[in-house]
Amino acid sequence: MISAIGNNVAEHLAAFEREEAGMGDITLFNSIHSGKLPVAEVKLDNNALAAMTGMPQATSRTALLSLVAAKEALIDAAIPGFESLRTGFVSANSVGGMDKSEDFFVEFLADNNKGKLRNIFDHECGSKTEIVADQLGITDYMTTISTACSSSANAIFYAARLIKNDIVDVVIAGGVDALTKFTLNGFNTLMILDTAFCKPFDEHREGLNLGEGAGYLVLVSDKVAKTLSKSPYCKLSGYNNSNDAYHQTASSPDGTGSYLAMKGALEKSGLQPSDIDYINLHGTGTPNNDSAEGTAIKRLFDPEYPPMSSTKSYTGHTLGASGGIEAVFSVLAIKHRIIYPNLRFETPMTDLGLLPEKRFLTDQDIKHVMSNSFGFGGNCTSLIFSAI
Amino acid sequence: MLTENYITASCSISDGIVFKDSQQLFENKSAELSAFLLSVYQHFQLNYPKFYKMDNLSKLGWLAAGVLLKDGFNKDNYQPEEIGIVLANANSSLDDDLKYLETVKDGPSPSLFVYTLPNIVIGEISIRNKFKGEHAFFIQDAFDAAFIEKQVSYLLDKDILRACICGWVDVLEQDYKAVLFLVEKKKSENAVLFSAENMDAIYKKI
Repeated sequence: MISAIGNNVAEHLAAFEREEAGMGDITLFNSIHSGKLPVAEVKLDNNALAAMTGMPQATSRTALLSLVAAKEALIDAAIPGFESLRTGFVSANSVGGMDKSEDFFVEFLADNNKGKLRNIFDHECGSKTEIVADQLGITDYMTTISTACSSSANAIFYAARLIKNDIVDVVIAGGVDALTKFTLNGFNTLMILDTAFCKPFDEHREGLNLGEGAGYLVLVSDKVAKTLSKSPYCKLSGYNNSNDAYHQTASSPDGTGSYLAMKGALEKSGLQPSDIDYINLHGTGTPNNDSAEGTAIKRLFDPEYPPMSSTKSYTGHTLGASGGIEAVFSVLAIKHRIIYPNLRFETPMTDLGLLPEKRFLTDQDIKHVMSNSFGFGGNCTSLIFSAI
Repeated sequence: MLTENYITASCSISDGIVFKDSQQLFENKSAELSAFLLSVYQHFQLNYPKFYKMDNLSKLGWLAAGVLLKDGFNKDNYQPEEIGIVLANANSSLDDDLKYLETVKDGPSPSLFVYTLPNIVIGEISIRNKFKGEHAFFIQDAFDAAFIEKQVSYLLDKDILRACICGWVDVLEQDYKAVLFLVEKKKSENAVLFSAENMDAIYKKI
């Protein structure tokens, strides 16, 4: 994975331990919001990413970030006989090639003879997946999911279903999003950005900080799992996607969508709420999400709450990548027996009283982790990972 | 195993007139568009405060669907997932996009921003009626009855849906036209066969 707090898994673990968030000033592009809105940028520019991946410098940042993370996952998985297996790539993103298109548009609008068409011919989300799949040598199945902030969580359980239905043996699944002016300006219009570093689940939260990055898991069938030389991190034991059909961009105040997603994931896994050892919250820091998600958690878990935190307090909201990045955090929590802190949390939400973890905890007995990703349009997904 | 599908109701709103099944139900030719839409809403006593938040495209489509479905459509005959919506227009959400763009200089308006996508009208109709079936919104130069017939027949013939609202909903500033068809698998009294020819005949009468 790659995000504002690290370029690979090891760097992320170190950042969590140091309790160091990745937010800062906008450096990737000129923006009217410079100096006003903090963002969580990956600390490598496109030239550096291109050098790392051997791709042309003009490649869309979306494809570059995706390739860095997906490659790391594939190498880590060390699947014997990969070439002879049925392989798939399910990747999510919301921004596609917008990083290139938004620059092209300015030149082109001023003069229809200006602007490089090669920067926009593959603007759509699916072409970013295709670029990366080609580089990874994926031959049998490839698709793109784009459901805003729940995108890569949906990609992960879609991948699981592909394996369950014996369509593929190995799937790299997750997602990516790159920071763009389009996204920054759009979110600013919705008035849900914080001018300070976000405070998820805090009574005085003011909004989210946009981030960028990519996170992928490699899922395999039981058959392939038996051939691996190192044991799998964990299994995906439950998942659910539900929609509360309430509003284009807001969740219903009683958290119906979130509640249905979490409840459905628990049912699928056969677990009780009390079996969950840690919840990786969607926790964007917006008044609406945290209140709706908190209400849903109260409905489901009250009076016994597992430890919970929003890692967006470190990485910002990575949009289409958030489900994937946070799935990786969930899997690492089980493997390394850790719980991540919810940075900058001070005051619980008045009517809910939920208390996220404030410190980085080690030596925890983590058997089951729930990871929430709730997207615009009410598209709510909850994943459950379990130790084997 | 192709069974016939039927147009069991149609509704159009254009040039200040509301038609249902080719009967004129309401007329208000003198008003500009926003006032006209409000007068339709009030006339049919549709009672839905969210109406006031919608952009003109959503208001137009929502009103046409409201008139289409009143008196004669029984939602309880269907599961929510069995009713879907397939619409098309030429101007996408351009009407709202332009209004939104006006506000960008001095303070972009979130309430206009959330309508800068043409398929939101489908969302508004679905939320109001609790429809959970498949839906799609196409952008085309003109109403293409053959295309719509193909899309909707596919959904009905493959049992993906058992009822579908389809048609054309377009707005750009003061120009507007909505023509909707209710398509079901059962034949009711006064129903006509669901075909491109029959849709065109109704569409062109307006």
